[in-house]
Amino acid sequence: MLDVTHPSSSDDHGDAIPSDPREFAAKVNAWVPHDIVLKDAWFPLAHSFAVTAKPVRRAVYSQPYFLWREHGVALASEFHPAAGLIGAKSTFSDAAGRYPVIEKYGYVWGWFGNPANAAPEHVPSLPYLPEEGGLPLHMLGTVRFDCTAPLSLENLIDLTHADFLHADVVGDEIMDKETVEVFHDSETITMVRTCVNKSVAPIMKWFGGVKSDVQQVRQVIRIYLRSHAAIAYGRFSPGDNVQLFHPCVPETRDRTRLDYAMNTTNVKKTNLFRYLMPKASYKVSRQDSTMTSPQSPRYMHPEKRKDLHSPLDEAGQKYRVLMLALAERQARGDYAYRDNVSADCSDIIGYQKP
Amino acid sequence: MAQDAWWAVARSEEVTSAKPINVDIGDQPVVLWRDQHGAAHALEDRCPHRRAPLSLGCVLGNGMIQCGYHGWTFDGETGHLKNIPNLKSDAKFPPIYRATPFGVAESAGFVRVCLNAKATAPVATNENLPLSGTVNVALDHDQYIAALFDDPALVLAMRGVRFTPYLTTELIVEQGLLVMERSCQWAGPHWPAPFSSDFPISLRIATDPLTGESELSLRDDMLRPVLTARIAPVPAARGVTQVRWRARLAPQRSGLMARAMGTGTPFTLRSAIDGAALRVLKPSASIHAAALRAELTARAQQSSAA
Repeated sequence: MLDVTHPSSSDDHGDAIPSDPREFAAKVNAWVPHDIVLKDAWFPLAHSFAVTAKPVRRAVYSQPYFLWREHGVALASEFHPAAGLIGAKSTFSDAAGRYPVIEKYGYVWGWFGNPANAAPEHVPSLPYLPEEGGLPLHMLGTVRFDCTAPLSLENLIDLTHADFLHADVVGDEIMDKETVEVFHDSETITMVRTCVNKSVAPIMKWFGGVKSDVQQVRQVIRIYLRSHAAIAYGRFSPGDNVQLFHPCVPETRDRTRLDYAMNTTNVKKTNLFRYLMPKASYKVSRQDSTMTSPQSPRYMHPEKRKDLHSPLDEAGQKYRVLMLALAERQARGDYAYRDNVSADCSDIIGYQKP
Repeated sequence: MAQDAWWAVARSEEVTSAKPINVDIGDQPVVLWRDQHGAAHALEDRCPHRRAPLSLGCVLGNGMIQCGYHGWTFDGETGHLKNIPNLKSDAKFPPIYRATPFGVAESAGFVRVCLNAKATAPVATNENLPLSGTVNVALDHDQYIAALFDDPALVLAMRGVRFTPYLTTELIVEQGLLVMERSCQWAGPHWPAPFSSDFPISLRIATDPLTGESELSLRDDMLRPVLTARIAPVPAARGVTQVRWRARLAPQRSGLMARAMGTGTPFTLRSAIDGAALRVLKPSASIHAAALRAELTARAQQSSAA
């Protein structure tokens, strides 16, 4: 009754989601997210504004990244530039200890993996962020989660949690109807949640000028698996669209850094929602942390007991299986991207460009 | 952790229907709450859906507990899943969809939990001990009880009472409990304990060999009660011992010092143990306790085999 059914699909290499329900369930329940370290991925290590001539330190799975600018160009090194090459160097940087770097969408992205495999086409598509960056600072911020990054993303992709954990910000579970659709390829998973006559998000009621008691809601979460980066795109009627970039950088296997960008340039300048919604991340992230922080140690080791699931968990379950499939593939030495993450995903998420 | 032991994990007033609370029995997290009829319930403090603590959720008007993460709602009696609000379905869930239930019994101001939900509840008493408190001690359960046996002053204080190293009764087994009685003095000028011929008060300690739950009776030299207390040490996470206690001062007390116990706080448990004193504390009664526990366990095994 509570199993998730899914249409079998395949690509040239076969679908990572098994069509056999038992095999699928076995993979879902073999979820030990702390053991997953995916390589050959771009991570948005810092907002562009945070990288200046003075080096700043970031980390991906404890691998040090020093970021700074020379003549305006962002650079990344395994070693502090003032110290030079000291001690043993990893295989993640070149002979000079430098990492591949790209600056796009207002972020400095560092490559985590074999430097020879770094390519611009592996930067995820983020349709509502300007490629050249430049969003106002009040739309940007940093929050942290005291948990492993995949749990933070599993939390995000199962949006029913928001009705309970963030009800005071985005509204509760009261609605007439809810449908969840899930799409995936080998590198991404996309969840579309449609809610009919959902109770209005309080933040929109108080600050967004929404007078109605109910809203029609379409929320999309799209996760770029390797980069642990997500798009959270919501269309609210009545109300303004919410356009969040939610990158979960695994600084260590049990702590996550999130340099977010909430693009509210679509909201009128006279509307308070434009300025307050990006700041809601501070509240919402702590609410999430109350659950994901105690969750995290409970997922640190394999367990005989299986998690229980409901049909609403389809996205989360498939996220687990896709992450495991990538990890298994990488364990076999296969780091190739089988799907293009940089192709414009506007149509997939239903984003209408202004 | 003994599966059939009943652990006093909360004082009655700590468990309400307003908000669930979290306690531990060893490494086992437990959530406690009351339903709309006032009955206490205990489940594993872990939602079987995504392992979030149920104690972060809420108690619904129908007495069930709802996980604060995704709203899964459980019956306190059986642990069965009763509702996933977003499913908007009246369908029943398979029996496997449940949180682990534990046995609950409440009496004399304590809520006791047994990890075996089918264990027989202990005999209820109507003991009325109005004073109460809870402390968290950074000392493991076994060491805590050993300190209680060897030098009570390290773990508790009774107003105006000094515990001597001299026992009137060394640890013995009485009705399945470990019982000892220690000579005590009133604070103030008097001969030091080693040179005293008689002692005006004594402390009797009767301890459950499994849980360490102990009844403390301070009596005068006419064996009249001065103060009665019950302390319930429970092993908690990371080697901490959570100790709940309740106490009552006898209404009629003879002697100036006994009467003076009524001013201020007559009984407290220490939340911090003096490590320097503990380290050099010579084990005495606690050594016998280990032997007596082994004897009781062997006896219990023999009787269950018969």
